Amino acid sequence: MTRRVFLFAMLAACTATSIDDSSYSDDYFRTNPWPELDRIEREGPPRFTSRVHSCSKVRYQTLGNMLASRGVNLAATDPLSAGAIYKASAAALAGPNYLQRVRENVEPGLATESKLFDIFVQAAPELIANMPNRAECQKNGVGAKLFDAANKCQLDGISCLIGVPATQTHVDLCNQTIARADDVEHGKQLAVAVLAAAANTCE
Amino acid sequence: MKYLLAIGLAACVTEVGTPADNTPHDEWDDKLAGRVLDYNAALRVAALRLTGELPTLVEMSAVATAADPKSAYETQVHAYLASPKFARQMFRFWQDTLKMGDDPSLDSAPAFAAEVTVLNRPFTDLFTATSGTCPTYDIASGTFTPADCANGVPATAGLLTHPGMNKQFFSNFGFRRVRWTQETFACTAFPAEIATVAKDVGGATPYTGMFPFESIAGAATGGRVDFRDTSAVICANCHSNINHIAPLFAHFDATGAYQANIVVPTPLANNPVAVMTDYLPAGEGLAWRFGTPVTDMASLGHAMAADPAIAECVIARVWNWGLGKSDIIDGGNRVPAATIQAQVDAFTRGGGKLKDAIFNIFTSDDFVRF
Repeated sequence: MTRRVFLFAMLAACTATSIDDSSYSDDYFRTNPWPELDRIEREGPPRFTSRVHSCSKVRYQTLGNMLASRGVNLAATDPLSAGAIYKASAAALAGPNYLQRVRENVEPGLATESKLFDIFVQAAPELIANMPNRAECQKNGVGAKLFDAANKCQLDGISCLIGVPATQTHVDLCNQTIARADDVEHGKQLAVAVLAAAANTCE
Repeated sequence: MKYLLAIGLAACVTEVGTPADNTPHDEWDDKLAGRVLDYNAALRVAALRLTGELPTLVEMSAVATAADPKSAYETQVHAYLASPKFARQMFRFWQDTLKMGDDPSLDSAPAFAAEVTVLNRPFTDLFTATSGTCPTYDIASGTFTPADCANGVPATAGLLTHPGMNKQFFSNFGFRRVRWTQETFACTAFPAEIATVAKDVGGATPYTGMFPFESIAGAATGGRVDFRDTSAVICANCHSNINHIAPLFAHFDATGAYQANIVVPTPLANNPVAVMTDYLPAGEGLAWRFGTPVTDMASLGHAMAADPAIAECVIARVWNWGLGKSDIIDGGNRVPAATIQAQVDAFTRGGGKLKDAIFNIFTSDDFVRF
């Protein structure tokens, strides 16, 4: 009985009506505490983790919007097209299943990220060809191209692809990827896929 | 024993070190202090959340080249919140939060919640609205079409009486609907309340609920399920709250239609329909929380609307969504009260308007630092 009172006193001391406190009591009752302790040691306590951006997977619908807004045809029927792969990959991309009361899983996973990379590889030719024609990637009516006539990577094009202003480092890595490829066209596709994947592995 | 000690220690250790405790700062405080302002990165996240798309080249340029990037960023967040795409994002956010969607009978619930958010109506309408709780939302046009639910309820109480919700979370005793209500809007799983003084009820562990142990039904009161059982776990720790709410949800059948009598089944032989004395002893009233009695769905909705924990919960959910966290319950991504205190205070002071709260969160210091 003494033990019980002691343990309860410890729990009661640390549980109150606030969100963080009361969820502690529940989580720890329902789960093994050791992985949670390990997680806190590795990632930091909630007072830290709650205040920093997480590395979340790009949501399924958002990925579709993103691809479409950069020139990918989501209605494509070729089974190897980016659009068709995207359409057929809701489960592999950890999309939600609301009829089964399952939310979208935003934790990045290896299979999910691999599928994402597959899509970007297949999307690269469409992105290279169509991005400059998209209003989202135009400034003063001029479309941002990913590559110039000499097949060199362009700042504005990369910016529109990844969603933040690109730096010279992005351009250098992009050009290196092309230089290391067997041929220029495959190098350009690989560079686009790598940049897109790197930008979207974490939202 | 080790397990419980770890529970207690972890709960205590992780909360030590907050500024309010005046304890020395540690490596995690250093990491927080080491973050730098990055409005370009913040714009990307804001665009993905609020419009579902990457920022355009013009939007990026406006922030990147601005003399006052903070002001330029905030202008863009305002623009995102005014965009038709924001309605689409809110619809998706609420589908995920409510775990309802991909079927017209379910989609009207997230549509209603999205409409309340987009129109900046008080968030408490989700529990207290008496009409218009089954709108449709057209993603292509970004428009809401108001409609009432048609499931025969004597009085509508926001989403609590929504036919799709009651259909989606149909179960024995209506308990799944209660759990959904608790986890979605109070952000904790059961047990919902824990007393400061435990009571020995003859089990291996004490009873820790706020209600008197005898306030729920059991074999001793003629209940067909012994919610006072102590032989394995203390069922009453959770059921003291659950049983004071569940009878209100027990009037909705498997299709979500309201019936005058209790219609939910029990997990007993041949699945007989539940009766009131299965939940509570004769004379015991319903309650949202201990000390907060309710009589019907409307009063339950108003009790929830008045509960500060509900406001904290929705802010915590939006905070986690903004910062890319998984679910606060399913993913265990707790949000300490101190982290969102400023947002909760502003939300409460401002009349519970979620669109305003989203702006505050997306322009908060934590959001724009990386």
